Amino acid sequence: MGTNVRKILKKEENKKIRKAGNRKVATPLAFLILFILSFLVLCWYFLYVRNADTMFFMQDRGWWNSTSIFFHDCTRVPGGWLAWAGSYLTQYFYYPIVGTLMLIALWFVTFVVAKLSFKVPTEWSFLLFVPIAALLCSEIQLGYWVYILKDIDYVFYHSLGLFAALLLSLPFWRVLPFCEKVQGWIALAWVPLVAAVFYYPLGVYALLAAAIVALRTSWKSIVLLLLTIWLVPLLETSGTTLMRPDQPWMYGFRKFELDDLRDYSLEIPFYIVLAAPLFFPFIKRLGSKKLWQSQSIMVVVAALMWFCAYSRDFKDYNFHAELRMQRGVEECRWNDVLNEAARVKGPVTREMVMFRDIALINRGELCSKRYLYNNESIPPVTVSDSIHFRIADQAADLIYYNYGETIFGIRRAIERCMHYGYSYYTMRMLTQCALVNGEKENARKYLRLLDKTTFQRKWAEKMERFVDDETLLTTDEHFRMPLKLYNEGSELVGVDDKFVELTIMKKWMYNLTNDPEAQEVALGCAMIMRDKNCFWSQVQQFYNINPGKYFPIHVQEAMLFGVYELGMEGVNLSFVKFDQRVVDRYKAFTERLRQYSSQGLNEKQIGSALRPEFGDTYMWDYYVLRAVQTN
Amino acid sequence: MKYRILFLLLLVASCSKHPSLPSSFTSVDAEPRICPDYVGVTVPPNIAPLNFLVDSVDDVVAEFEIQNTKLTYGGKRNKVQIDEKEWHELLASARGKNLSVTVYTKKDGKWQAYKPFQISVAEEDIDPYISYRVLPPTFVGYDELSIRQYNLTNFQETTIYNNCQISRGLEGQCINCHSYQNYGTSNMMFHMRMQNPGTMIVSDGELIFVNLKAEDMISAAAYNSWHPFLPIIAFSTDHTMQSFHTREISKVEVMESASDLVIYDVKKNRVQTVLNDSLELELFPSWSPDGKWLYYCSAYHEYLKKYEDTDELLQQYKTLKYNLYRLSFDAETMTFGEPELVYDARSKERSAVQPRVSQDGRYVLFAEGPWGLFHIWHTSADVQILDLQTGELLNTSVMNSQLPESYPSFSSNNRWIMLESRRDDGNYTRTYFSYFDKQGRVHKAFEVPAEDPEYFRLLLRSWSRPEFMKEPVRITPRQFSEKALTEPIKVSQQ
Repeated sequence: MGTNVRKILKKEENKKIRKAGNRKVATPLAFLILFILSFLVLCWYFLYVRNADTMFFMQDRGWWNSTSIFFHDCTRVPGGWLAWAGSYLTQYFYYPIVGTLMLIALWFVTFVVAKLSFKVPTEWSFLLFVPIAALLCSEIQLGYWVYILKDIDYVFYHSLGLFAALLLSLPFWRVLPFCEKVQGWIALAWVPLVAAVFYYPLGVYALLAAAIVALRTSWKSIVLLLLTIWLVPLLETSGTTLMRPDQPWMYGFRKFELDDLRDYSLEIPFYIVLAAPLFFPFIKRLGSKKLWQSQSIMVVVAALMWFCAYSRDFKDYNFHAELRMQRGVEECRWNDVLNEAARVKGPVTREMVMFRDIALINRGELCSKRYLYNNESIPPVTVSDSIHFRIADQAADLIYYNYGETIFGIRRAIERCMHYGYSYYTMRMLTQCALVNGEKENARKYLRLLDKTTFQRKWAEKMERFVDDETLLTTDEHFRMPLKLYNEGSELVGVDDKFVELTIMKKWMYNLTNDPEAQEVALGCAMIMRDKNCFWSQVQQFYNINPGKYFPIHVQEAMLFGVYELGMEGVNLSFVKFDQRVVDRYKAFTERLRQYSSQGLNEKQIGSALRPEFGDTYMWDYYVLRAVQTN
Repeated sequence: MKYRILFLLLLVASCSKHPSLPSSFTSVDAEPRICPDYVGVTVPPNIAPLNFLVDSVDDVVAEFEIQNTKLTYGGKRNKVQIDEKEWHELLASARGKNLSVTVYTKKDGKWQAYKPFQISVAEEDIDPYISYRVLPPTFVGYDELSIRQYNLTNFQETTIYNNCQISRGLEGQCINCHSYQNYGTSNMMFHMRMQNPGTMIVSDGELIFVNLKAEDMISAAAYNSWHPFLPIIAFSTDHTMQSFHTREISKVEVMESASDLVIYDVKKNRVQTVLNDSLELELFPSWSPDGKWLYYCSAYHEYLKKYEDTDELLQQYKTLKYNLYRLSFDAETMTFGEPELVYDARSKERSAVQPRVSQDGRYVLFAEGPWGLFHIWHTSADVQILDLQTGELLNTSVMNSQLPESYPSFSSNNRWIMLESRRDDGNYTRTYFSYFDKQGRVHKAFEVPAEDPEYFRLLLRSWSRPEFMKEPVRITPRQFSEKALTEPIKVSQQ
């Protein structure tokens, strides 16, 4: 009886212990799952919800193709395999949702590998996300740097690098489970071997893989590691002609430098990516302390991750709007471009103005609707304190192309390739310019390359029919207007000195053409430039080729304003048929102008006061936005 | 059993190397369209395999036949890639004879056999090496620029110098005008511009780095030519400007607003003015192989408003037409005679530049275009050969194309002409060779062979300014870069 009671009591006690044990395991696991879910949401929000346009753009400025030339080009330098694989995977941001899922999946697998590799206790596993969070920050912090990134593989390169480095340490920690002493000896072989074998494929991440093993084992392996880090890059790059003598040790590490400028703040995530894994082998030493301690730290880390991601995210509205408008222009979605232009609240960039004007040109509304939109512009954006972004650094080729200036478009496209590498975007631009120029073989060359990519193949196939039959160009939306402007444009010789908008405007305002659509562009440019002689020449030309037709609204406004307000003498407006509403608004504008002036308001105050009523007129634009703003 | 397996393995291996010809096919009464176009060309007996591809087919097999030897290659989708060793054996037996090539293509499961075409194998070898600049067809930036050398007998390409070795930032380092004394590499040079500027000269195997800008010179030394045996280099010094067309597909106009000629004595580190007429734009000096003549080109230009008015020049760029001239040279006294007109291109409304004289001194090879000096941007530019004995131009139409040709040179044995051309696609410069026989006839030009016949189609860089070499450059890229980081020696002026 007594024995039975003891047995029953023992059973009950065991049950209690098991339950407590399960709770001990289950609670940290539940917290970890919550943490992971929170991290996944964080990634999704910042990568896809907030930055889908940026990620698509980075993909579009990337380059991968299945040729051996490309593979060879990638693998000539340390980190070559990462570059090749990174470029390949970056393509999937063609569909931002797919790319985002792939990147998040890679990060999750990286976490799993790290957890397996270093046998990290569940309650401390959240620490493994620190370098991954840094990677997330690296993706969303770039802003205008996306235009001048030399790395076509940026999006995946470092994520793959971290994954590879952790994966390489997995066999050491898990497959070779000897005692610490034996493992120390193995490390002496492992460290130089991993660094030497994987330095070319993985670059700096091979050195990281060696370092992860060395730091946890013995002082001998640390000494060996230092020797390895010094010698392996030096020896393996001794024959290369592709880098400076100071580059081998950090080849593949992302530096944000342009000429003499270097922005270290953008490099912080990469320092974390390289430094944090070195502590992974030590995490298990933290052991199972009181749960509330680890979980409190977890909450703090989670909050920090959200905070860092929020603060690193590049939130400039115009930057994102530019990316969306650029894509809209490329895809001839004129309504979307104009809607985007209408949505902007504050001053815009000149690139946005030009994208919008291209949409208006294609809809034949440049002179009738241009001033309905905001033309108040900001100076070229400055990033990292001293880099001024001009249109020439952004989408100059696309803008030139849409104004029919294909040669200048090619020039800018090739120039960018020289500085920042080839891209799908550039290839498409070069193809389109070549087709408009009638350079069929050149177009074929680019199409052949695009045909060897994953997601540009369809576009290439579509373009091939234009190579075979150039008459189709005149009716296709992508080519119709650029071809017309190319044909109607004049032949000149000169340079743009990086003033893209000014170059286009100056060329077109002098261009007298008999084509009504092209002439409206010339007339619009003369209005933008506020050049009296060109304006009236173009007005005359409009009248000549459109007899009996009403002048577009903004041209009527400009004529009234020019003659009566700016006092241009010798201009006879008797031949012009004015819309009575335009005349009425003009009169109301001048009346209000005088009224506010007599009240002693300064120009800025007058401009603000007139804006609600007349902000959509040429007069307001001319009076308030005093300087001709071009880029 | 072991031997059977080995035999089978060998059989499989040999099958893949030499595919069998299709048993049934339909005959096509036309020569195939292959890329690169090697149909009917004359090639040197030491050239690397002429690998090629056929567009829009699923499979291709080519049979090469000379006397009783027949070899088949292909079977790798649409490419024919020839075994290097066998090819050289084949060519050795075909020296001075014709190779017959029959191409079979497969499309949608059906084979076709094209009319056989001939490849003539000349008696004379070609110089085994060429060197050239590799760069995107760029205009201003120099981020990525290298001078490389290519072994014409086996496709091997190595770098002589790459600007990535020391270049920083967007400005980059321009490297240009590589040249050699008498096809050797013990005496050679090239310029560096922008970052670490100077001229890298190898003099009797020794590397020196010189700042070739004396006070009276317009600029640092530019286009150049080594005297065939003296330690003297002739240079032009010039102010170059570049502008862009808005509609012309030639895209770019390069002009010189001023230019003179000088010679530089490598051993004495001294420059001496040769020509500095302010009304003449003298360019592209080139020694005759006997060293007694300095050929060059020059355009007459008189500025109306002020000297070197670039705006004026921009308005008148089409009037800049270069003629070919030469000066006699006395090596004893280091003096030159009076300019002697060699070819009056201006009277023909053309512009002749980049002269090169044949080893026997009889022919002058040059590039001719509508105006100006940078004919690789002029679609109507061709390579011409002037026979100095008759004063007539030879018929070079088979060597030229509808697209730009420029920068011609003779091989050391005179039998091969190398030129750069944009005939492939109009934008990317490629190297072509043409056989120049003893009777003074030019033969159809062919593209430098590549291991992968698709290579040049896909390559997004130009090969520009090719030069023949008898041997590879022996100074290593690192030696050049280390030297470039030193202070260049200042030149003195006579």
